[in-house]
Amino acid sequence: MTPTSPDIKIRCENISKTFIQKGHMEVPVIRDVSLDVRENEFLVVLGPGQCGKSTLLRIIAGLETPDTGSVTLDESPVTGPGPDRGMVFQSYMLFAWKTVLSNVELGPKLRGVPKDQRREIARKYLELVGLSSFEKHYPHQLSGGMKQRVGIARAYANDPKIMLLDEPFGQLDAQTRMFMQVETARIWDQEKRTVIFVTNNIDEALYLGDRIVLMRGKLPGVIHHEYLVDLPRPRDHTNMDLLRMRAKIIDETELVL
Amino acid sequence: MNQTASVANETVDYGRQREPLSLLRLVTNLYFLYSVSLLSFFVIWDRVAEYHLLGDALVRPHLVALQLYQLTQMKFAGQNLMGHIWASTQRILVGFSIASVIAVPLGLFMALNKYANAIVKPVFDLFKPMPPIAWVSISILWFGIGEASKVFIIIIGTFVPCLLNAYNGVRLVEPELYDVVRVLGGKRRDEIVQVCFPASFPAIFAGLQISLSIAWTCVLAAELMSSRDGLGFLIKRGMDTHKPALVLGGMVLIAVAAWSTSQILGLVERKICPWKRSIENL
Amino acid sequence: MAYQEVKVKTPLSMIVLPVASICSFFLIWEGLVDFGFVPETLLAAPSQVFNTMVVKLSDPNPDGAVLAVHAWTSIQEAFLGYILSLVIGIPLGLAMGWFKVVEGLTRPVFEMIRPIPPIAWIPLTVFWFGIGLTGKVFIIWIAGIVPCVINSYVGVRMTNPVLIQMARTYGATNWQIFTQLCIPSALPMVFGALQIALAYCWTNLVGAELLAADTGLGYLITMGGRLMRPDIVVLGMISVGLSGAVIGVIIDAVEKKLLAGIRR
Repeated sequence: MTPTSPDIKIRCENISKTFIQKGHMEVPVIRDVSLDVRENEFLVVLGPGQCGKSTLLRIIAGLETPDTGSVTLDESPVTGPGPDRGMVFQSYMLFAWKTVLSNVELGPKLRGVPKDQRREIARKYLELVGLSSFEKHYPHQLSGGMKQRVGIARAYANDPKIMLLDEPFGQLDAQTRMFMQVETARIWDQEKRTVIFVTNNIDEALYLGDRIVLMRGKLPGVIHHEYLVDLPRPRDHTNMDLLRMRAKIIDETELVL
Repeated sequence: MNQTASVANETVDYGRQREPLSLLRLVTNLYFLYSVSLLSFFVIWDRVAEYHLLGDALVRPHLVALQLYQLTQMKFAGQNLMGHIWASTQRILVGFSIASVIAVPLGLFMALNKYANAIVKPVFDLFKPMPPIAWVSISILWFGIGEASKVFIIIIGTFVPCLLNAYNGVRLVEPELYDVVRVLGGKRRDEIVQVCFPASFPAIFAGLQISLSIAWTCVLAAELMSSRDGLGFLIKRGMDTHKPALVLGGMVLIAVAAWSTSQILGLVERKICPWKRSIENL
Repeated sequence: MAYQEVKVKTPLSMIVLPVASICSFFLIWEGLVDFGFVPETLLAAPSQVFNTMVVKLSDPNPDGAVLAVHAWTSIQEAFLGYILSLVIGIPLGLAMGWFKVVEGLTRPVFEMIRPIPPIAWIPLTVFWFGIGLTGKVFIIWIAGIVPCVINSYVGVRMTNPVLIQMARTYGATNWQIFTQLCIPSALPMVFGALQIALAYCWTNLVGAELLAADTGLGYLITMGGRLMRPDIVVLGMISVGLSGAVIGVIIDAVEKKLLAGIRR
């Protein structure tokens, strides 16, 4: 375990969740997961497909309620979704009928921020993700990487304490993905937040994470390893220490074929 | 149903572009084929009519054109041509507007409220398989042979697809989009306003297009049964007085009118949902 | 993996409400007529309709045929027209989707005829074929062929182009690609047309019979209207709706069976 510090932001205690599939099958998805996340920490949840990591993230977001256990944020329990946690979705989930700008300003709009102010906020974050000149475009006119940058800006525009990213680059090609990782590191550096980043890509995890938790590769998901990545940023994919750690993680990844 | 062209995935055959102009290329040129097709259609029609292969019930194309020209020049049963076209179109506009104003909100409401759905859907399902034209007789019994009975049939016919498409439009919304609104701090009301309504727009418009084509069938049926003006009346009069030119002229007019209204509706849709292309090109 | 099975109950209100809804619909209808809120010349109560149905099972009066004869005539016409539109429409649509020459030669004519509502053909068919079976089959055929052609055409056009290129590199001929690749991949779309075409056929059957017929369910409805007998009109409407729904269910079952065969 990481040394307990007073600035714990999120605490998950003994979370379990079972889904009912096809109306009658009970599928246990995660079992007994406990996890602490410190303030402004970049935590990566690493695991292969179908290991319950997205469900864990959705529970923290408040989109699902755990069967047992609890999530606390700043020592108050999480009971539902709220604007203090921003989320970025794997399949972008942009509103096709809104322009880029209206997509980004949706969060402030829902909270009742006046038009001028929310425009300003939205423009600020569009600039942060480098899409200032695209504010009048519709999502279908953008590439995958650009769409996800809109998704990130949208989450940021609500000024959340926590950013939850659910395999955000899973649908991008390898090069765009690498570029987006660099961008994510840059944006996080400029606008520090507590981040929980779910991925199935080891390099992505090592490039971005302060800390990596590794989940077991079959259901029900449990956390079975944890790594502190104490390397200077910006990181280099070919750094020796990083590669050594990579080998270690691969060794300890429980592969289910 | 105009999407056929945009759905097509054409493979580009680059080899063919460098081929020199030849007879074969001309023969397989699409526009050449289109002209051949249209030309032979009219020539065959003309020949069949000329030699009375279908009795005297088919007239040569130019006679149909002449008939239409005459209709623009003189009054027929108290109305000129525009009057008849407008009579039918007006019925459609009235019936179609009433039906869509009631059916679309009802469909949305049924999709959003399971109790409303449980109450309305069974009764709706009773009426669904009944063809709208089957209502012609009862609507004449109820409303006489005036405007009301015709508008009523159009309402009945267009109600079902409007409601069904609005309903399915909401049911088929990607559920994760609701999560986005919830995560951003939205309430149930925001989910409906920000996601449900805009996301079901394309489905609603598809329903309106289907409704429109049904509306033309309905107005035609009603006018064939009993009327004093309208395109159906022209066709019926042509039938009763055994004037094939008038019947064919009426068919041409109705095709043009039906096609135009659906084009206009498509235009409105493109104006209201400029983003819709993204879904079609998926 | 063996997961535990659980039973999920449907909430009671979701069972009660639909049943209550249907029951109250019929009760209100019955009540409206029985207690004189709606004059009997305008609407017949469900009980009256039922009585008329029992009578019409054996009595050809006042419209000239018993119910079974009307229904049989309609089903015969609809079935013939439907089958004809499938037999001609589907191959035509498939060919239009693949062969440029076929598309070029047929598409303009098809597009010209498509916006004409099928019942607009009634006068011409009466001129050509009289008021017998042929004319109605023709109208139903016109109605059913449109969705058949469109769906088959779109089905072929939606064949994955990469698969077509793959077949080309393996040296398949044009005809082989069409029969071995495009047609099978278009089949789900083609089956989708079965239901749509049926609905079109059934709707237009009633239209065809309203104007030019001497038996058939549409004719029964028209006669009921002329004789000012709402019970006969409603009986006709219910018979049309019911037989349409039954045929729809049958087609649906056939479609499921065929599709299951493909997936295997």
